Amino acid sequence: MNLLEARDITKRFGGIVALDGMHFAAKAGEVHAILGENGAGKSTFIQILSGALVADRGKIMLRGKTVTAHGPGAARRAGIAPVFQELSLISDLTVGENIWFGDEALTPLRMISRRALNARTAALFAELGLDGIAPDRLVRSLSIGQQQLVEIAKGLACDPDILILDEATSALVPHEVDWLLDIARRRADAGKLVLYISHRMGEVRRVADRITVLRNGETVGTAETSAIGDDEIVAMMLGRRLNRLFPERHATATDRTALKASGLSVGHQLKGMDFTLREGEVLGVAGLQGHGQRELFMALAGAVRFGGSLEVWGRPVSIRSPRHALSQGIGVALLPEDRRHQGLLLAKPVRENVVLAALSRLTRFGLIDRQAEADVVSESVSRLQIKVGSPEQLAGTLSGGNQQKVVLAKLLATDARILLFFDPTRGVDVGTKAEIFAMMRDLAASGYAILFYSTDIAELVNVADRVMVLSYGRISATLPADQLSEDRILRATMIGQVAA
Amino acid sequence: MKRSLSSLLGRTDGWGMPLVVLFIIAGLIELMRPGSFGLEQLALICASAMILVFVATGETIVVMRGGIDLSVGGTLSLASVISATRADLPGLDLLPWLALILGVGFLIGVANALIISLLKLQPFLVTLATWSIVEGIALIVQPSEGGTVPPVWFAWGYSRPFGIPISVLLLMLLMLWWAWFRRTRMANSIRAAGSNERSAYLNRVSLMGTNIAAYGISGVMAALAGFFYATQTGAGSPVVGAQYVLPAIAAVVIGGTSLAGGRGGLTGTITGAFILNLTGTVVFLLKLTSYWQIVAQGAILVLVVITGSIVEARSERSGADR
Repeated sequence: MNLLEARDITKRFGGIVALDGMHFAAKAGEVHAILGENGAGKSTFIQILSGALVADRGKIMLRGKTVTAHGPGAARRAGIAPVFQELSLISDLTVGENIWFGDEALTPLRMISRRALNARTAALFAELGLDGIAPDRLVRSLSIGQQQLVEIAKGLACDPDILILDEATSALVPHEVDWLLDIARRRADAGKLVLYISHRMGEVRRVADRITVLRNGETVGTAETSAIGDDEIVAMMLGRRLNRLFPERHATATDRTALKASGLSVGHQLKGMDFTLREGEVLGVAGLQGHGQRELFMALAGAVRFGGSLEVWGRPVSIRSPRHALSQGIGVALLPEDRRHQGLLLAKPVRENVVLAALSRLTRFGLIDRQAEADVVSESVSRLQIKVGSPEQLAGTLSGGNQQKVVLAKLLATDARILLFFDPTRGVDVGTKAEIFAMMRDLAASGYAILFYSTDIAELVNVADRVMVLSYGRISATLPADQLSEDRILRATMIGQVAA
Repeated sequence: MKRSLSSLLGRTDGWGMPLVVLFIIAGLIELMRPGSFGLEQLALICASAMILVFVATGETIVVMRGGIDLSVGGTLSLASVISATRADLPGLDLLPWLALILGVGFLIGVANALIISLLKLQPFLVTLATWSIVEGIALIVQPSEGGTVPPVWFAWGYSRPFGIPISVLLLMLLMLWWAWFRRTRMANSIRAAGSNERSAYLNRVSLMGTNIAAYGISGVMAALAGFFYATQTGAGSPVVGAQYVLPAIAAVVIGGTSLAGGRGGLTGTITGAFILNLTGTVVFLLKLTSYWQIVAQGAILVLVVITGSIVEARSERSGADR
């Protein structure tokens, strides 16, 4: 009998379907890996399992019985302990307080005994073979790696029947990864179930008995790890895709360097990148979530501070702020990932949104030149085929695709000739996607330089001239046009990790 | 030396720095007027600071929960006018009345918490509204300052059980309560919810339960402050509360409790309340008009917040513990 079974689970967020009737089954005594691309629905599924989210439809069964209670407490009582990628620790409490939160030993006055708490934590760490973390340290004073270890220890502390490890190794060093895989193996051998969510094929191969692959919120299939090859897994993760979404690609890059970065770094997320972006080129950026692409785009747009040096059109520059990035002589504009919050003023008309970043150009004696403004707006609306009733329509009332076009129009209204597209097709319908890709190629052909990140690898393969793959804040590979393929890129994101 | 001092200060709930400031101010006062801190003087200082201490105590718990409570102004006023107008009803003694007044404060707090949790509204807006409502009710109960506080209550306000002035005794009880409360599961849950609601939820914390506890405590403390005000002055005031709202928040911040929630404690807040109180003495001794007290309080607020953030940045870098 299956220890855990999920049937027909569906979960929507607004208009986006995260899980679409997926099913899943796992037995006691196995390590079961769940694989899938970003957005395949893995996170949503484990959040439903651990009570952090409630499914719209479908049921979860434990030992053949349907689970009815919801919420983290109910999941915990049912013997499910999640170890979250984004961590569930309280940074203002100590390590011990976090691990035993809600299960602390109390004194007769119903106070939490710190001494007992710390002793119990020390005993747990000793049993798990963890050292170097003092139980009375505040969590916020720990490194991310240490916090991840504490999160893992917390999951293990209640000796759960089902342990969920969600990208639990993302901040660990190799010997810590070995330690965790060993623990997962031993728990399975002791008759417990371990769900192992990871992008790292090497780890999955080492530890998992079986693999289930998700794609677009559906279950593609389950297989014994030993009976399936990497190529097959990658094919299952990617599925088949239509290609007419994408425009024809002609190399339009010139010899002129638009942007040259040397040793570009941001905090711990971006550890020194060297690359060149040429005029007329679409340079793709690939990488799993959280491997430095966000920092790269934010740094170039002037939104975060960075180290290293930067040349724009051959001139060394330092970009101090988004305003500075847009100024004459630099001209770098970002199409941000969250258009509703970072890209648009939803409660303002399309007109104001389009000219927002170009106002200095349209202003005379401190007043906006209404005629010039109207010209810019009407030109953008027709050029980008934005479907609006009038320029006075509020941006918030447009569809996702048209909103994205307004953001694009805003970028084009500035003098910027280096454009940063961060996941421009997120939440955009297929038709608009095709228009955006065509627009990107047109812009490149007319001399713009474009840096393009997408969570959808197929888009990079079909739109970009070259793709650099980011892994752990470094470039793990740069693939020229004739070597672009989805599995090459996917492999580079994973191989980079195994090596790291 | 410098490093060890800053790491020592960083090791506290944030009250190390304000304690240093408090001692500096007290030292100044002692220099200008030797003998300012005799036992009798301490009792007087304590009595004059306690109203602020009470209000700021409740505010501390709410701020740790990640909220803010402006309604304490109204609750304080309402409690004071109830004390000054309704206490002549026959058949009710001091203690039942006190319980009733504190109960009213608690209910106001619970109302705040329910509105905030159920309707998912900003604490600032909700408590601004309830402040206005409660203060309006206080004005309806008693339109102007005055009324009569029963002589027994007045006597209680100046009593000395076991030879200890009542205000000092209350302060000691309050600190004792905090020594207990800070180590309870509820306190940890409040910190957790104030630190990060999502993580707290994943850790099985009831977000509404912690709100009810925090705003409930705040309401009770504000009502206690109003009652104490009435016993000290012998009268009630429907508008007195407004004078304490911003100083209470200032005392919380000076005491090292983060307005972002999650960190802080009562020790610092009490220190902060006394700092604000003693600046009045300094201004008086310098023979300046009392308006300078407001200027000085603002300056201290800015100063303590700046030094606090520097100390914190240092201790964070050196990984110091609480």
